[in-house]
Amino acid sequence: MFLKMVKNDLVRNKIVTVTVFVFITMAVILAASAIHNIASLIQGMSKFQESAEPADITVMHAGEFDQAKIDQFTEQYREHIAVQETMVLQNIDGSDIQIGQHQTMAETIQDISFVVQNKNFDFILDINNERLDVKEGYVAVPIYFMEQYDLHIGDSITVKSGWYEKMFVISDYARDYEMNSPLTSSKRFVINQSDYNQMLKMQAGELEYLIEFKLNEGGDAAAVQTAYNEAGLPANGPIIEGKIFTMFNAMSDMVVALVIIFISMLLIVIAALCIRLTFLATIDEDIKEIGVMKAMGISQKGIKKIYLSKYKVVSIAAGIIGYLLSFAAVNLLNGNRRLYIASDLSGNLNYLLALIAPIFVYVMIVLYCNRVLKRVDKISAVEALRSDIMERSKKRKYSFPLQKNKFLSLNSYMGLRDIGKRFKLYRLLFVIYIVCTFIVILPVNMYNTLNSPEFSSYMGIGKQDMRIDLRRTDRITDDFITLQEEFKNDNDIEKYAPYITSSYQVKHADGTWHNLNIEIGDFSVFPLKFLEGRAPEEEGEISLSLANAAEDGLNKKVGDKVTVEAGGKEQTLTVTGIYQDITNGGKTAKAHTSLGVNEASVLWYIVSINLAEGVAIREKMNYYQNAYSTAQVNNIEEYTKQTLGTIIDQMEIVVIGGISIAIIIAILVTALFLRMLLAKDMSQIAIMRSVGLTLRQISYQYMAGTLMVLLVGIILGALAANFLGELLVSMGMSSMGASKIEFVHVIWQTWLLCPVVLLAAVGLTILMSCKAAVKDDLSAVLRS
Amino acid sequence: MTNIIEASSMTKRVALGKNTELSILRDINLKVKKGEFLSVMGPSGSGKSTLLYNISGMDRMTSGSVKYQGREIGSLKEEDLAKIRLGTMGFIFQDINLLKNLSLIDNIMFPALAAADANKHTISQKAKQLMKMTGIEKIADHTSTQGSGGQLQRVGICRALINNPDIIFGDEPTGALDSKATEEIMSILAEINKTGTTVMLVTHDVKVAAKTERILFMIDGKIVSQKKMRKYDARQDDRKEREESIMKWLMENGL
Ligand SMILES: Nc1ncnc2c1ncn2[C@@H]1O[C@H](COP(=O)(O)OP(=O)(O)OP(=O)(O)O)[C@@H](O)[C@H]1O
Ligand SMILES: [Mg+2]
Repeated sequence: MFLKMVKNDLVRNKIVTVTVFVFITMAVILAASAIHNIASLIQGMSKFQESAEPADITVMHAGEFDQAKIDQFTEQYREHIAVQETMVLQNIDGSDIQIGQHQTMAETIQDISFVVQNKNFDFILDINNERLDVKEGYVAVPIYFMEQYDLHIGDSITVKSGWYEKMFVISDYARDYEMNSPLTSSKRFVINQSDYNQMLKMQAGELEYLIEFKLNEGGDAAAVQTAYNEAGLPANGPIIEGKIFTMFNAMSDMVVALVIIFISMLLIVIAALCIRLTFLATIDEDIKEIGVMKAMGISQKGIKKIYLSKYKVVSIAAGIIGYLLSFAAVNLLNGNRRLYIASDLSGNLNYLLALIAPIFVYVMIVLYCNRVLKRVDKISAVEALRSDIMERSKKRKYSFPLQKNKFLSLNSYMGLRDIGKRFKLYRLLFVIYIVCTFIVILPVNMYNTLNSPEFSSYMGIGKQDMRIDLRRTDRITDDFITLQEEFKNDNDIEKYAPYITSSYQVKHADGTWHNLNIEIGDFSVFPLKFLEGRAPEEEGEISLSLANAAEDGLNKKVGDKVTVEAGGKEQTLTVTGIYQDITNGGKTAKAHTSLGVNEASVLWYIVSINLAEGVAIREKMNYYQNAYSTAQVNNIEEYTKQTLGTIIDQMEIVVIGGISIAIIIAILVTALFLRMLLAKDMSQIAIMRSVGLTLRQISYQYMAGTLMVLLVGIILGALAANFLGELLVSMGMSSMGASKIEFVHVIWQTWLLCPVVLLAAVGLTILMSCKAAVKDDLSAVLRS
Repeated sequence: MTNIIEASSMTKRVALGKNTELSILRDINLKVKKGEFLSVMGPSGSGKSTLLYNISGMDRMTSGSVKYQGREIGSLKEEDLAKIRLGTMGFIFQDINLLKNLSLIDNIMFPALAAADANKHTISQKAKQLMKMTGIEKIADHTSTQGSGGQLQRVGICRALINNPDIIFGDEPTGALDSKATEEIMSILAEINKTGTTVMLVTHDVKVAAKTERILFMIDGKIVSQKKMRKYDARQDDRKEREESIMKWLMENGL
């Protein structure tokens, strides 16, 4: 009887077994490769860090500079500081760098500088994580640009600035721990010392200094920063802590890996649901046999073993195969990591760690099976043999009588009422359709959100057509003034507003002073979305970015006071609002113009511009770009796109993957479910046919039922993706400085395209499944 | 009188293995007149049920011809066969075969609703009338697990009648019933037959056969003999004689 049952089960549920197998395999592939990638990401990051030896504190400064004072400071804080080194950047405008015949790098939002390799630390590496050693006439180009402009080793770029003109041949990719990420707004090109000296001599670029500190083990970064500020040392640019670089480097890969692990979890849930469905179906059918076995004295354990052993075998096989296949899948999604962080990694630790996935899946499946099999315990021998009688005695109120159907055709009504009658069965399908819709719509929403102009509101920028950034130069203030004069007279400009960001000292709760970059200007012209409160409108008002207002920042709420020092004068400002910002490490602030510019440490000038209707944005951009060589003109959409480029690209893969997985799941599960349902309903179908219904009419019933479940599933899944998904993504993004992401819904995609794709896939599957279930002779079923 | 069914040289074979076939029906030639009341007898496994299923088009015959109301069953598409079944045939089975999730009255109304050539109200009136006629109006809203065998068989009959069929097929409709219930079911069928509906039953029960006017006897997939009688009339007290003569005829045929 044992053998007979196992054999029966295999024959009866061939498709189920295969489907469960496929799902488990897919889950293992995804989870194992994601774990593998996380492990190699961590390993790669640490190797990368080892070779690059990034600075613990980096101060950016443009303008007057005295190294002697810095040396003095370094000596004074020897207990914290191990080494200090200053890197001198020669900033070159993107429009001065020519690629090929006609193209320049003018469009980039990145600051470009030419440097030589440091002596002590913060090394820029090649693609093999070796320190770059660039020969004369050659250049190592940041990976970001190699990708963006599709450059190759051997191509050449020409730098043309003032009197200076030189062609460089690209000899290497420059892998730059500190400035790899598109989220860091500067990129460093590495050249040979003699080329560098010549450039310096001809004053090709504006100079900027990176004053870098490497701390002793256990050195206190915050203390050094405070001391640096208090010493009044040059710092008119941002001060950056080393760990931010690490986060920027790892972020996009981490996000993708986590999304994949999430999808793989959903797959495990689906596999579990399929197993549940089969168990319920087979145990129902075998209920008499179970009773007989119990009556014969076979223990419950023994009986369960029969059911369990199959899924043990299936999950072990799927685990092994999935694990092996994950080796191939691993490289599909780590292209970014291999390029930016580490190309090839030795060691087998990743493989070992990836083993967690199949083991975890196996344990989950077995635990779940055991849970479902609790049902066997409840079947007593007598009960099992009398299950018919049990059923008969149940008196329930008759629901959905045919006479009540006023609007639908008989077959649609039969299909729909079946859901009500057997909701327990359809529930599984329902859950799976919700999950499928979720898997499709969540990535689509994320993709659309990242890609939309509205995303700028998470970057602390109000909605605007175009923005001009002025680089730190000696002419910056003059340029800023002439620019504004010109705007006043330009009829194509509907409105504009200048913003100046400078660095101030702010008092923390513990009384210590820290740097805070505050942007001042009129924030009513280009209103920014506020999480809480409003923009600063009057004297004495300030608003903080979420990360700044958070507990590990200034720990302030709307209405609290903040003490700021500028030019030796202390001012107390009231917090009027909190906004989201993922730029500059998430820590920014905005204040009313009356706060005054901190002349000593102006960081940057920005002018936001809206053009009059009908003005060609591209032409305007070109005009201002050419007229002001130190300006960087961007339209805002491009700005967000370039900043988020890698994440958007990876999200694209996830969207496509999500849609394919969802469709595969929807098709497989629907086919599986209908096969089971049709087998269960074989006699009912035969009865309907004997009465005179055509097969088409009967499949219509199943179609109506299943599609109804799908429709409701799509609606709930889309709602879940929109609301729950928003919550999930916001949680994930909160560490970056945005805690309340509002998805951009593209209505036709959410409510038309996704449903239509799923409906078509499922509808076709239903049609095929119903066709496949046809047996020609009715008598075979009717007289059994 | 015209024939409602004309079968000639009809056979049914099924594949058992790769190369083995089983002949279930061989060379069936049969004419059934409109309004006739006939029964089929024969040992178990002789092909009686198969005969019903094949001449009604529920199964596909292997070769030969069956004309139903002048149309060749073998050349009709599934859709057309379904339409014919829905509109002109009624079936009664030994194990009744009701739809589980429908109440008894809904089971009865179901074929009429599927045919949809009357409005719902008319259909439900008709169903109620039929249930009254067969004496089960009280359990209309019960489900199929809540009735006795005899009651459920009446539901089956009502369902078969709801679309005013031209012919009713019964595969041992009384096979699971006690003699009293059998008696009642047979008188209902006789009533129906009186209104001009053709009735063709498969039965093992001589008492049932005795109430029909023609009996076919099958062995090994062949109709080997038939016996014609007068139409049964309850007023002429000849039941015993009819039954005895059938018994004798069966013995002659080797049962
Ligand atoms: N689809 C089939 N495949 C194989 N054998 C079949 C099939 N259908 C019927 N048979 C066989 O054909 C023979 C005739 O079956 P059928 O049910 O017509 O007999 P019957 O006269 O109705 O018997 P009973 O009086 O027991 O109901 C039987 O031996 C049966 O096993
Ligand atoms: Mg039979």
